[in-house]
Amino acid sequence: MRHRCFGSLVALVIGGWLLAAPTVAGQAAPAEKRWDPPRTADGQPDIQGHWSQRSDITTYSIQAGFVDRDEHTRIGGQAPQKGRPIVDPSDGMIPYQPWAVEKAKLHHSQHLKPSKPEFFDPVSRCFEEGVPRINYQGNMRILQFPTYIAILHDFGHHYRVIYLDGRPPIGDTLKLWMGDSRGRWEGNTLVVDVTNHNDKTWFDIVGSFHSDAMRVQERWTFAGPDRIDYLATIDDPNVFTRPWKLSVTLGRNKPEEQWENAVCEGNKAVHVAFDLPW
Amino acid sequence: MRSRFTGWVYAAAVLSFVHVTVGAQGGGGQSLPREANGRPDLSGIWQVMNHAAWNIQDQNAEPGPRETPWLGVPASRGVVEGNDIPYQPWARAKKAENDKNRLTLDPETNCYLPGVPRITYMPFPFQIIQTPTYIGVLYEYVHAIRNIYLDGSPHPEGPIEWWMGDSRGRWEGDSLVVSVKHFNADTWFDRAGNFHSEEMQLTERYTFVDRDTINYEVTVTDPKVFTRPWKMNMLLYRRKEPNVQLLEFSCYAFDGVAVGTRAKDQIGPEGGVR
Repeated sequence: MRHRCFGSLVALVIGGWLLAAPTVAGQAAPAEKRWDPPRTADGQPDIQGHWSQRSDITTYSIQAGFVDRDEHTRIGGQAPQKGRPIVDPSDGMIPYQPWAVEKAKLHHSQHLKPSKPEFFDPVSRCFEEGVPRINYQGNMRILQFPTYIAILHDFGHHYRVIYLDGRPPIGDTLKLWMGDSRGRWEGNTLVVDVTNHNDKTWFDIVGSFHSDAMRVQERWTFAGPDRIDYLATIDDPNVFTRPWKLSVTLGRNKPEEQWENAVCEGNKAVHVAFDLPW
Repeated sequence: MRSRFTGWVYAAAVLSFVHVTVGAQGGGGQSLPREANGRPDLSGIWQVMNHAAWNIQDQNAEPGPRETPWLGVPASRGVVEGNDIPYQPWARAKKAENDKNRLTLDPETNCYLPGVPRITYMPFPFQIIQTPTYIGVLYEYVHAIRNIYLDGSPHPEGPIEWWMGDSRGRWEGDSLVVSVKHFNADTWFDRAGNFHSEEMQLTERYTFVDRDTINYEVTVTDPKVFTRPWKMNMLLYRRKEPNVQLLEFSCYAFDGVAVGTRAKDQIGPEGGVR
């Protein structure tokens, strides 16, 4: 009896564990959905505050593979960042069209010793990061208002105003470094359509690129008091064979004053790279 | 007919008097947009309607290049109180020299952050976002941001030399008063060579005239360059087009301005040397 009872107990425990394990994992997402976030006076989930990525992503190269990261470490002496932001396709690579593979290779081969300024990382030239690159670049402050959300980035005084008032996007021929953003809330997820990009921003230093036909849909899911799950779906029929997805986890930072970050003024990166007069 | 016309004129005169009276109430008027805490709400997209970007003092029209006459300088009334900037003698000479060489010396030619107050009257819109403890000013011109802290915090100790200075605000009645200091000496006031040193300190006052107009007054103090404090005064107008929003003017990235594309930049066949 005793043994049988013990046996049943063990079976129960193991069975319970077997049952519990997938249940816990399976419940994780619904539990977060049930999470009732604080709200702004007008009823939006209140994501205000200071945030930055916790996904160990370098802006050196967003594609899978550690070769580029090791190169970055060699050049910069930084600890290697091994995060892999591209979650779809599953190989972590950008699904370039054949011609675009060649162009990306050219960018990559040129990035250490560019023959022309346009082969030099636009951000190193102090140009704006574009979306989504700015979201894995550094700290951002989010401020919310009934008809718009403002994101103020520490890096290079980049800002975005995401309109929530249902206004249509600006005309197709207008091209912007940071794109044109229109947002809406779906439960705890802020969905932002970002259009009107120019063709001059890169996703990383080694020259992962897009055209001015790119469209980005961002999903900012307020997953917990100190966590936003950021998912960008990137589509560009001129450059990619299919849409692809980039995922970044944002964590909450201690509020700090944002001080001037003047990246163009006094930037000598291009002067040094090409031995140009000040 | 005549009497009816006179009647209309009379009515118009009364109405304009009423309008002026309401306007004069400024911050006291009930029609001003206000935050939940009762403070005037400066949120919105604003822009000056003057030519102070060219010259903060009185300016005669000047021709542009022959091929592009529309690039001439427009005539304008100055925005400096009394139209006189009290330069010290050496500084007045330097201002004249700056003006003469403005096509090469004006920091605007590099599209750097233009400093305060110059950014206010650049010919581009800017957007004010407001909370009880913080006001952000987002500028279309080179996507500059001004962070104005209203939480009672003091300026950082310094010495600090920032292009846009450090801004700390407070409310005096219905006026937003902003103290700005910690500047560098590399920005000008306008395209006419008016300049300051790193010792410049500003006191700005933003006061609603009516719900769509803000009176902007700035007092400039810089004992290294001027003999006394002096003031500028202008109006900020709300941009009311239904589709208005900030776009971008990142002119530092334009070909010809961006380093590597300037006329003086010769890049050999070897390319970069990193």
